[in-house]
Amino acid sequence: MSLEQFKNRNVGIHTYKTLDVGTPPNTGMEKFTQVVTRAVKGELFVGLWVVMREMINTLVKGDVHTVKYPFEKMPISPRYRAIHDMLRLLESGNYRCIGCGLCEKICISNCISMDTRYDEEQRKEVSEYTINFGRCIFCGYCAEVCPELAIVHGPRYENASEQRAGYSLFEDMLTPIDKLNLQQEYDGFGAVSPNADENITQTPLAY
Amino acid sequence: METTLAQHIVTDLPQVTALGIIIKAIIILAVISAIAGFGTYIERKVLAFMQRRLGPMHVGPFGLLQIAADGIKLFTKEDIIPQNANKFIFMIAPIITAATAFIALSSVPVFPDFTIPEFIPLLGGVFVPSIASDLNIGILFVLGMMAAGLYGPLLAGMSQANKWGIIGAARTAVQFLSYEVVTGLSILAPIMLVGSLSFVDFNNYQQEGVLSWMIWQQPVAFVLFLIAGFAETNRTPFDLLEHEAEVVSGYATEYSGMRWGMFFIGEYANMITISIIASIVFLGGYDSASMFGWLTIMLKIAFFFFLMLWVRAAWPHVRPDQLMWLCWKVLMPLALVNILITAIVMMV
Amino acid sequence: MYELIAFYLFSALIIGLFLVTVMSKNILYAMTSLAAGMVLISGFFFTLGADFLGVVQLIVYVGAIMALYSFAMMFFDATKDIKEKNTSSALVFLLGGMSALVLVLIFVGLNQANLAHPDAITALYPMTEGVGNAQDVGMVLFTKYLVPFEVAAVMLLVAMIAGIILAGKKMDDSLTEDLGADEEIMIVKDKK
Ligand code: SF4
Ligand code: SF4
Repeated sequence: MSLEQFKNRNVGIHTYKTLDVGTPPNTGMEKFTQVVTRAVKGELFVGLWVVMREMINTLVKGDVHTVKYPFEKMPISPRYRAIHDMLRLLESGNYRCIGCGLCEKICISNCISMDTRYDEEQRKEVSEYTINFGRCIFCGYCAEVCPELAIVHGPRYENASEQRAGYSLFEDMLTPIDKLNLQQEYDGFGAVSPNADENITQTPLAY
Repeated sequence: METTLAQHIVTDLPQVTALGIIIKAIIILAVISAIAGFGTYIERKVLAFMQRRLGPMHVGPFGLLQIAADGIKLFTKEDIIPQNANKFIFMIAPIITAATAFIALSSVPVFPDFTIPEFIPLLGGVFVPSIASDLNIGILFVLGMMAAGLYGPLLAGMSQANKWGIIGAARTAVQFLSYEVVTGLSILAPIMLVGSLSFVDFNNYQQEGVLSWMIWQQPVAFVLFLIAGFAETNRTPFDLLEHEAEVVSGYATEYSGMRWGMFFIGEYANMITISIIASIVFLGGYDSASMFGWLTIMLKIAFFFFLMLWVRAAWPHVRPDQLMWLCWKVLMPLALVNILITAIVMMV
Repeated sequence: MYELIAFYLFSALIIGLFLVTVMSKNILYAMTSLAAGMVLISGFFFTLGADFLGVVQLIVYVGAIMALYSFAMMFFDATKDIKEKNTSSALVFLLGGMSALVLVLIFVGLNQANLAHPDAITALYPMTEGVGNAQDVGMVLFTKYLVPFEVAAVMLLVAMIAGIILAGKKMDDSLTEDLGADEEIMIVKDKK
C-alpha cells in the first residue's frame, strides 16, 4: 500500500458520487410493481454471487486481506501521532534539542517535565526530560512548536500498559547513536508538508 | 406410495427395537450437539472467506480447536443472574430453547434405516430406524415443537428485567407467530400432493430420480418455506430478535456462559432441523434403496446450512415493519394462492 | 400399564401446573405454568393415540394462543407481583365450590349410567385401521360436523373483520412524521 492516499490533503466534495435512486413508489400499484420487479429481477442473487466470488477468490487465489496483526503491521502515515521520538543531528550525532523549553510550555496536559543546565562549553543542554504518557493526549503541539524538529512523533502506537502513568525518559526516546544512519527525517505534524511548494504559491499563509 | 406407515413397518422392515431407537436418539443428540459446535466454526470460516478474511487461525490447525476453546470459555464463564430478574424463569428459559430444538429433531429422519453390522460387538445386528419416533404426523409435530420453542426467547426476554430483553421478546412473539403461518401454509401444498404428514412417506414419494423431487412441482412452496424457515430460525435477513445494532442482544442480553450457549445450540439445532425438513420435503431426502442415501442427504443438509451462512454474508437484514409486511402482505397470500392452484390441479 | 402411569403422571402435573397458574401472583409464573400445562395436555392426546389432535393442541394452544397472551402480558412489568383486588373471598369460594360440585355430579351420573351398560362405553368414532389420524379427523370434520365447522369459520372471519376495522380506522395516517426510508433518500437526491 502506498502512502499517497495519506499524503493527499486536498480532499473535497468533488470526489463525492451521487447515486441515482429513482423515484419512490406512491400508489399501491406502483409499490406492487416495484416488489414484483425486484423479486423477479434477481438482484438478490447478484449479492449472493458477489460474496461467493470473493470466497472463491479467497480460497483459490489466496486473495486474503487479513493482516495478521501482531506479526505483520500496516505502514502507518508519517502524520500519525504516536509515542514521541527525540532526534539527533545527522552529522555530529548531538542532540537536536536545545533545551528551549517551548514544548514543556505548550503542552496542554502538562506532561512534559524537563530541566536544563550549562555544559562545560557553556551551552545549554537538557539534563532531565520525561514525558508522562499517562497524561499525554498526543495532540502534537510539542512537535509542532519545536524549533529544531527535535521532538517528533514516532510510529510506535502499541502503548497499552498495566498502569495509567507511564514515564518515558529522554534516553528512551532518543535515537540510539549507533542507529543514527537509520534515523528517518520526520515529515509528520509540524514538518513541512509534502506539497508545500504548491501551497506557498497559492496562499502564503497555508503552509 | 399409498402404504401407511403401520403396514410399512410390518411388511418390509426388520423389527424396530427399543435399543435401536435409543441408539438413534443418542446419535441425534451427540451428532447434532457436535455439529452445532462445529457449525459455529464453519460459520465463522465461511463468513470470513466471503469477506476476504481468514477467520479463526490460531487455536489448532486452521483454528479447528477454536470450538474447544469456545466450549471451555462458555463452561467456565460465570453464570450471572441479574438482581431484578425472575430467577427461576430466567434459569429455565435457555433449557426450553435447547430441549424443544432437540425434541423436534426426534421425529425427523436423518439417515435411512440401517442395521449395525454384525462384526461390531454388543450392538451388532441391531436395526436402527430412520426416525427416533416415527409419528404419523411428523411434520406437524416438528412445527409444533418449534412453536413451543418460541417460549425460550419469550420467557428469557420477559424475565430478565431489561428493556432490550423485552423488545427482543416482543419481536420474538411477532416474528415467530407470523412466520409459523407461512411455514404451515407453504408446506401444506406438498402435504396435499403426498397425502401424508409422515416424513418417510415424503421421502418415498420422491424416489424416482431427481425429476421426481418436490421442488419441481412446488417451486413457490419451496421458496416460501425457505424464507419462513430463515425467519423461524432467526437467521440473517430476519435476525431481529438479537440484532446487535438495534437491540444490543435482544432476549439474550443478560445471559452469559453456558445459558447463553444453550440458546446458541438451540438455534443451530433449529437450523439443522429446517435444513433437514427442506431437503426431505423438497429435495428428495435420502435414497433408501442405494448405499449412499445417507451421503446424499448429508450433502443436501450441508447445502442448506451453507445457504444460511451464505445469505448471512450477502444480504442486509430487514426492518421489523418490513418483516411483517413481507409476511402478511406478500408471503401469506402467495402461499394461499399456491395451495388453491395445487388443489385445483389435483382435482382436475 | 404404561398408559396408566402416563395418565396419572400427566394428570398430577397438569393439575399442579394449573394450580400454579391460578394461585401465583407473578405473571411470568402463571404464564409459564399455563403453557407447560397446555403442552402436557397434548401428552394425553398422544397416549390416547390421537397424534393429530395432540399436535394441533401444541401448535394452536402453545404456539399461537399462549404467545398472544404473553404478547399482551408484555405491557405489564413481568418481574413484579400482582396485587389482587379481591373483595369477598367467601363468594369466590362458594361459587368455585358449587361449580366443582356440579362437575363431580355430572361425572358421577355419567359413570353410573355407563356402569349400568358397560357395552355403551365405545368411542363414537373409533380409529380406522390403516388410515392416519389426520384423515380420520378430516373425515368426521367434513361430513358429520361440516355445519358447525363452517359456522365456526364464519365466526372467526367475523372476529377478524371486526379486528381489522377496529385497528384499521386510522391505518393510513401515520403517527410519526410521514417519512419512509425511500423518501429520505429522495430528499438527498432532490437537493442535488
Ligand atoms: S503531544 Fe501534546 S500532550 Fe503530548 S507531550 Fe506533546 S504537547 Fe503534551
Ligand atoms: S521544543 Fe524542542 S528544542 Fe525546545 S525543549 Fe522541547 S524538544 Fe527541546
